[in-house]
Amino acid sequence: MQRFPLLLAAGIPLKAESPWEDHLASPLPWGNWITNSIFVSALVVVFVVWFSRSATRQMEVVPGTRQNLFESIVESLYSTIEGIVGRRMVALSFPLLASIFFFILFSNWFSLLPGVGSIGWGERIAFITVPNVQVPLLRPATADLNLTLGIATFFMAFWLIVTIRELGFIGFLEHLFGVKGGFKGLFALLLLPIFFFVGVIEVISIIFRPVSLSLRLFGNIFAGENLLSYMITLGKQLGLPEAISYLMSILVPIPFYFLELLIGFLQAVVFTLLCAVYIQLSTSHDDDSH
Amino acid sequence: MIPLLAEAAQTIAGLSGNFTLGIAGAGAAIGIGLIGMKAVEAVGRNPTATGKVLTLSIIGMALAESIAIYALLTVFLGG
Repeated sequence: MQRFPLLLAAGIPLKAESPWEDHLASPLPWGNWITNSIFVSALVVVFVVWFSRSATRQMEVVPGTRQNLFESIVESLYSTIEGIVGRRMVALSFPLLASIFFFILFSNWFSLLPGVGSIGWGERIAFITVPNVQVPLLRPATADLNLTLGIATFFMAFWLIVTIRELGFIGFLEHLFGVKGGFKGLFALLLLPIFFFVGVIEVISIIFRPVSLSLRLFGNIFAGENLLSYMITLGKQLGLPEAISYLMSILVPIPFYFLELLIGFLQAVVFTLLCAVYIQLSTSHDDDSH
Repeated sequence: MIPLLAEAAQTIAGLSGNFTLGIAGAGAAIGIGLIGMKAVEAVGRNPTATGKVLTLSIIGMALAESIAIYALLTVFLGG
């Protein structure tokens, strides 16, 4: 069985590179830190802001198409998060969760547009034809671990502030290390060391949350990008004649584009719901025995 | 122990490739299958709770899938 070369290398490079670094002297003195994924995330932010501004500029009782669409999305998101986080917390956490949802959703779907990842620098044969793009100009924002880790750590900071505001610092420690199950007096003293270790495990699982949130989003989108680029170049990889491989590069990736649309939406929903669940886990303290 | 097994597998049956991703993928697939099965059962038993069951099963599946993603990252990062 002829072993296929490691095809992942044909996919997009793991690290987001600065479009200016080694190709042109960067026009802006501080321009080197702008990587292609930062550029795309800025584009996505501009799009999200424009879409929400234009949908809510003059709001009427009978909503226009854009306002209607925007309202339905926000309302369904609000009711879902309210169902999880509870009425009091939703007012506090909804703005952040909704903006995280929109940003991740549109940057996931942005990566499916033609031209993202396929226009960029590489050794060129004719004037603008570059067979193998090394440094794509546009690179999907969420396919870059820096961005997903940034969102995850930013959310954990927000979570810490909200939890401490809600439970108070001592309440927060008690929530972690406290003796649960309503034991009192001597028995509680005996259980203290055990619950101390329970608290340590709790702290470890909390620290692991941003890691799992960011790796999950990054892994899914990055794998999807590689899957698409692998499917597009499938004909060339198998060494089929030019015409067939060209036709295959159009027809083969079509189902995977729909798969990526679903995964992009699903990962955005999952990221937001998990953030809501994490908030709910540590701030709904009025009903359980305390 | 594991390298020994991998070596043996390679020489005897010519099996090669990434065992980590294989095992993690299988585990995640089984987990997601179980969650899907139980979710469909729950909806069958109580169709009005479709929304709640859907939300919970999506979260469960995502958590199960992230294990396979961790293994997948060992492939990308050449772990």
